Amino acid sequence: MSDYDVVVIGAGNGGLTSALSLAKNGLSVLMLERHNIPGGCATSFIRGRFEFEVALHQLSGLGTEEFPGPLRNTLGELGVMDKLEFVRMDNLYRLTMPGSLDICLKADRAEAIAALKEQFPEESSNIDRFFDLLYEYCTQWIHVTMLRDPKASKDKYPLYFKYALKSTQEVFDEFFQNPQLKTVIGVYWSYQGLPPSKVTFGDFAIILWAYIEFKPWHLKGGSQALSSTLLNTYLEAGGDVRFNCGAKKIMVSNGRVTGVITEEGDEISTDRVVSNAGTATTYVELIEPEHIPNQLLRELGTMTLGTSFVSIFMGFDQEPHQMGIDQTTNFITTSPDADHVWDRSKTLSTPEWLLFSCYDVDDPDFSPKGASQGSLVTISYAKPWLSVPPHQYHEIKYAYAQKMVDTLAGVFPAIKDHIEEIEVGTPLTHMRYLGHPGGSAYGFDRYAKDTEFFIESRSPIKGLYIAGAWPGMGGFQPSIQSGVTIAKSIQKSMETQGGERS
Amino acid sequence: MISRNLHNDLEGYAEIKEEIAVLKKYGTDFTLQKGEVARIINLHHPKKLSLRISQIIHETESTKTFRLVSSTRPLPPFQAGQYINLFVEVDGVRTSRPYSISSPPSQTAYYDITVRRVAEGFVSTYLLDEVKVGDIFQSTSPSGQFYHNPLFHGENLVFLAGGSGITPFMSMIREITDRGLNRQVQLIYGNRINDDIIFNKEMEERSACCDNVTVHSVLSEPADGYNGLSGFITAELIKERVGNLDDKMFYVCGPAAMYTFVLGELKKLGIPKRKIRMEVFGPPPDIKSQPGWPEDVSINDRFDVKMKGKTTIKAKAGEPLMNSLERAGIVVTASCRSGECSLCRTKLVSGKVFQPRGVKLRKSDRAFGYIHPCMAYPLENLEIII
Ligand SMILES: Cc1cc2nc3c(=O)[nH]c(=O)nc-3n(C[C@H](O)[C@H](O)[C@H](O)COP(=O)(O)OP(=O)(O)OC[C@H]3O[C@@H](n4cnc5c(N)ncnc54)[C@H](O)[C@@H]3O)c2cc1C
Ligand SMILES: Cc1cc2nc3c(=O)[nH]c(=O)nc-3n(C[C@H](O)[C@H](O)[C@H](O)COP(=O)(O)OP(=O)(O)OC[C@H]3O[C@@H](n4cnc5c(N)ncnc54)[C@H](O)[C@@H]3O)c2cc1C
Ligand code: FES
Repeated sequence: MSDYDVVVIGAGNGGLTSALSLAKNGLSVLMLERHNIPGGCATSFIRGRFEFEVALHQLSGLGTEEFPGPLRNTLGELGVMDKLEFVRMDNLYRLTMPGSLDICLKADRAEAIAALKEQFPEESSNIDRFFDLLYEYCTQWIHVTMLRDPKASKDKYPLYFKYALKSTQEVFDEFFQNPQLKTVIGVYWSYQGLPPSKVTFGDFAIILWAYIEFKPWHLKGGSQALSSTLLNTYLEAGGDVRFNCGAKKIMVSNGRVTGVITEEGDEISTDRVVSNAGTATTYVELIEPEHIPNQLLRELGTMTLGTSFVSIFMGFDQEPHQMGIDQTTNFITTSPDADHVWDRSKTLSTPEWLLFSCYDVDDPDFSPKGASQGSLVTISYAKPWLSVPPHQYHEIKYAYAQKMVDTLAGVFPAIKDHIEEIEVGTPLTHMRYLGHPGGSAYGFDRYAKDTEFFIESRSPIKGLYIAGAWPGMGGFQPSIQSGVTIAKSIQKSMETQGGERS
Repeated sequence: MISRNLHNDLEGYAEIKEEIAVLKKYGTDFTLQKGEVARIINLHHPKKLSLRISQIIHETESTKTFRLVSSTRPLPPFQAGQYINLFVEVDGVRTSRPYSISSPPSQTAYYDITVRRVAEGFVSTYLLDEVKVGDIFQSTSPSGQFYHNPLFHGENLVFLAGGSGITPFMSMIREITDRGLNRQVQLIYGNRINDDIIFNKEMEERSACCDNVTVHSVLSEPADGYNGLSGFITAELIKERVGNLDDKMFYVCGPAAMYTFVLGELKKLGIPKRKIRMEVFGPPPDIKSQPGWPEDVSINDRFDVKMKGKTTIKAKAGEPLMNSLERAGIVVTASCRSGECSLCRTKLVSGKVFQPRGVKLRKSDRAFGYIHPCMAYPLENLEIII
């Protein structure tokens, strides 16, 4: 008899949702988390009178009650939907290019189009055509991948077959003239981590379309409320959890999982492990090399570690509108060239792309009365940070952050006089708290070659499953859903095994 | 997902397949990076430090400085003002106490901690009376939020210190003067009597040689014939010494009672919250005088604390739950012992605790009954999950 049916390593989104889903279905589950709190990225921390949101800017895929998105259904199945209070944002984003452009797009097809046409009247018909393509592509995508049309073919769904692997930039170039327009429409590339020249239209289109159709959301209490609710529901369902308790080894014998050894040296026997510790960590750190097939290492070798972030968490002693902040989601870019912006994110020079979220705009309870908080983020790969000598780290971190704050103050000058708290997190901070190489929050970079068409998502090691951002797409919705998908396939495999035995 | 036999119909599919074939030959060997994350993190934030006492310096009648060198790896960097949590075993009880580092971060050959005797203090008494050169201790990495943040603190700083609260400021002043940093510091340092003043001579020397550091010593119970500043750190005194208050950032560190007083004085001066930084100060000496303490519970009441899979222990109402647990041999992960860092976060299944104001609990932790045992006082029989 094994100690547990399943051991889940890591209490990030993917770990939590797989653990909960399995426990709800009567399996005995143990979850191990090295940190002292559930959530992984989906967490918060306190400074002064502020509870800072670490990761969530815009939750995708939720939809409304009338028009539910996939995430609403998933959270409903998990039994947490009515325990959470969601806050809907009306806008996709405001984008400012200091000195040259300032535009706000609503999370509504017609209104977004209208705003774009007003700013770029000469491209009116291009804008219409682009949105037609976006919607038609996504409709075909739904038929092919969600509804799994058995008659799917290139003739039946030509747009899907034509555009799924094309680079987003190619599509922009096909439709638009003005580089600024491409910047405005393409700004969500940053939610996926690669610039339009490198992210497929398939990936990009779904993100933009889903935010328009299902709206961007946040939730009361921030993403920690989600993680804590998932955990609590899991405990109620009879699941076990150990915090401050990392997994050190996944034991494998004859190509099968046999158990887990914790950092404290406890051995736990199990036939199934769900690892939320990321693909790289799982195969490189947790499993002895002799159990890893060569083929798998070669596949891993084709991938590159995805981006991390520099995040500046700011507490203000004024309400947003007093400082001229009237949107939750504000992008600021000082360059219309996303490739250049992305190249910069691999260095420590001034970042040219920023996202500033002020949650109090849409949720006045987010911070204490009369105060507000902002999360200022830029994408930043870990590499240059790794070579910073430890004794220079603080100085370099503050110098880097200062440049970000200066750019922000160019758009919102009033903030400078109302800062009550500031904390800065770098890729090294993410490495420390998540344990992921490169401090990656999205897993591997996701080029065309890393999409589902080319990647084998099943592990060659029997009984091992990898949940979360690494094996698929980064972000809340994908990582939450990955856990549920894995739980379902574990259950299926146990049913067939059970059948064999009897 | 579409079935595999349709993949070839995707435009660009074949080219990408070729690219992958090439990458498989020349890709990254991730196995070479084994241990790399841990190595990097350990340079900045090792979980535990192993420290040897290399020197003990007599500071005042009631205070000693312990110079700590690493007995294993190089000491990690820190920011002037941060503390380490020192693990000790006293009379068979494993416990810990945070101590601010008083040496400057410009060197990490050693960390100094400067400990003052607390009347009947469990750990301070032990450190001052029993510890010798060569003894080895474990500690956390430096942590804490009480340091100069160049992003919004500015260069004009007023330090308000009381008693052993001087230690983080000593680190800051040493850094500023050693490195010639462009920061203007006014230190107002309150003590009871002249003999209590820690680092008296060194501070005089440093302020004499560096124009940007000024020290104002204030005694509350001065001896006859003393002609310096006396009384408490009042609004008048601050205003008179500091002059223009507008562009200043105020830092406060001292015993619990000092905060209530000094914060009131700063309020009188109209200093906004964002201009005041406060170090945490651990469990207040007199918990029952804290606002919100229930009248019907005496600090000597004792309650049962039940733990899943462990024996039930007794805990005193007037003492942090963490201390009672430690006395029973149960060590909870801790760093600040002040309710701030959340490391000791523990699930309270049933029963009520008192957590003084200033304990920093996340909203969802409040909602789901988590407590910080380092600053939680049992008011009833409890059940917790450790
Ligand atoms: C600054 C920032 C902003 C973001 N903004 C958004 C956004 O607006 N919208 C969005 O959708 N997404 C956003 N994301 C991305 C999103 O948060 C992540 O992609 C997602 O949360 C990843 O979830 P995961 O399941 O992969 O687990 P992770 O969050 O990666 O958690 C992994 C967990 O495993 C634990 N672990 C690791 N190793 C071990 C071990 N050996 N033993 C035990 N436990 C271990 C870790 O401690 C951690 O808790 C953002 C991320 C960041 C950092
Ligand atoms: C962030 C931080 C930094 C610190 N830095 C320093 C430092 O640099 N130097 C230093 O000497 N101490 C410092 N302290 C205090 C130190 O951690 C211990 O609290 C102190 O040494 C007393 O511990 P003890 O075990 O001797 O007393 P305990 O046995 O814990 O307490 C004995 C009695 O004294 C009361 N008491 C506890 N602390 C105090 C106090 N500070 N003043 C008055 N009564 C008290 C208790 O309520 C109890 O009644 C710091 C505390 C914090 C939170
Ligand atoms: S030890 Fe920091 S909150 Fe308890």
